[in-house]
Amino acid sequence: MKILKNLFSPFTTLPRSIYWVVVVSQLILVLALWQVFATGGLIPTPLKIGEAVIRIVTTAYFIDNFFASLLLTLKGMGISIIIALFISYLSLVPFFYPFARFVVKWRYLTLTGLIFLFTLLTSNGSQLKMSLLVFGIVPFFVTSLLHIIDEINVQEYELCKTLRMSNWQTLWEVVIVGRLDQVFEVMRQNFAIAWMMITMVEGLSMSQGGLGTMLIKSNKYIDLSTVFAVLIIILVIGIVFDYLLREMRHWLFPYTQLQVKKK
Amino acid sequence: MTTTYTKEELILKAENISLQYDKLILRDVNFEMHNIVRPGMHQGQVLSLIGRSGIGKTQLFKIMAGLIQPTTGTVKVGVEQQPVKAGDVGVVPQNYILFNHRTIMQNLEQGIANARVKKSAKEQEEMIKEYAAHFDLTDHLKKYPMQLSGGQRQRVSILQQVLTGNHFILLDEPFSGLDALVIDRVVELLLKVSTLDELNTLVIISHDIENSLAISDSAFVLAKEKDKEGATITQKLDLIQMGLAWDPEIRTKKPFIELVNQIKYML
Ligand SMILES: Nc1ncnc2c1ncn2[C@@H]1O[C@H](COP(=O)(O)OP(=O)(O)O)[C@@H](O)[C@H]1O
Ligand SMILES: [Mg+2]
Repeated sequence: MKILKNLFSPFTTLPRSIYWVVVVSQLILVLALWQVFATGGLIPTPLKIGEAVIRIVTTAYFIDNFFASLLLTLKGMGISIIIALFISYLSLVPFFYPFARFVVKWRYLTLTGLIFLFTLLTSNGSQLKMSLLVFGIVPFFVTSLLHIIDEINVQEYELCKTLRMSNWQTLWEVVIVGRLDQVFEVMRQNFAIAWMMITMVEGLSMSQGGLGTMLIKSNKYIDLSTVFAVLIIILVIGIVFDYLLREMRHWLFPYTQLQVKKK
Repeated sequence: MTTTYTKEELILKAENISLQYDKLILRDVNFEMHNIVRPGMHQGQVLSLIGRSGIGKTQLFKIMAGLIQPTTGTVKVGVEQQPVKAGDVGVVPQNYILFNHRTIMQNLEQGIANARVKKSAKEQEEMIKEYAAHFDLTDHLKKYPMQLSGGQRQRVSILQQVLTGNHFILLDEPFSGLDALVIDRVVELLLKVSTLDELNTLVIISHDIENSLAISDSAFVLAKEKDKEGATITQKLDLIQMGLAWDPEIRTKKPFIELVNQIKYML
């Protein structure tokens, strides 16, 4: 009875086991409702989608496309984070600060409007995809990174000064080494955006495949169970990556775990 | 008490300090400290700057540390009487900021890395180990700051500053947020630091009158004068002359208790 009451009152925490019972039962409820209401309609039922997922993931066609997307994302993320870190660190040098602030504003540019320009500037489809992707992600990375830098307590800089560090040493100690763990957090939080953009840019150059291409083709043939199956797969991969990046952060920077536990 | 001592060279001088933000925070702050010499021992100096919350203690602390520039005036430190710049004096801020991404050992290494006297890596490590034992930190060297209690972090912070080789160490509210037992240990530790070297000088900035006075040889009261904007030093106490310094049992003595009460009214 007490648990039932806690379930519906704010600021109470549930025991872990109960929490999972709640999660699983809600999931089952949603799937069951979906199954009932979608039967006979246009939208495929969970069972149909499940079948499609199983059918798809074992085909070479899927695996090729999956790796095409994954490779593109990882490469794009890698290049983007390096460019974004560079811009963010430089933002502490007054000369480069306006530029960094300007990059942040690029979030409001839509990629669709830039496709033509980028097509002119790049020589082939994969270059086009990569540059659009990087151009799309960097502003988000820079935004998050600048926020982290803004949040640094002045006292930490003062500590460096009293320890007689030079300004460059301070930048290294406080901003670069001291916040490296948060770079992983930035990547994790923005992975979703990268993953979303990937399917979009893949549509621009279909010859190299990718999950985005799969989605577009299945949409064209109104193969809705495949569309949903790919969507589910994209969702699951996203969640797995989210988890991996978080675990990697804890593993590489053990002190981040302490901070979490303290809370 | 008959203690022979002499006041020798000037080691700290604050001249006409004022600080203006949107309102005047500090005005006409003037004081001096001299090296106190007692035959047969390393006697450092301990000064308390006492004032109520919000009066401008932390701002004065930052000025004395060379971290902010006063609107007027200068602070000169050391026997050479050079204008202070960041790094000349050790600073233990109120919330004991440390590098959270580094272990205690690494934090202490940061303290010694740019020390006044250059040492080899081996000497540095030995020195850290030796001091860590004095500061009761040996068991914590491999931990991260987040794993330590407030009192332990404070000790790391003090030691980090001692290792830089600065003779001056400023402490902002060193007794706040600590329970009585831990305060006793800090007091003991500060006394130990102050007697490590003839020139070691601690400046304690605090609103805690009793604990500050108990370990000080001089104390200044920072307060506002009637109808005047900005805080200034309204009272200078020479605790040695009053016979209230260097006495471990001081807290139980009647003149001391009376003095503490008297100062409470001045804040
Ligand atoms: N950067 C600042 N700009 C304007 N006013 C400030 C600034 N920092 C502190 N103050 C003001 O200075 C006064 C003294 O602050 P502080 O030195 O922190 O007091 P204390 O340490 O004695 O409690 C306060 O009224 C505070 O609001
Ligand atoms: Mg203060």
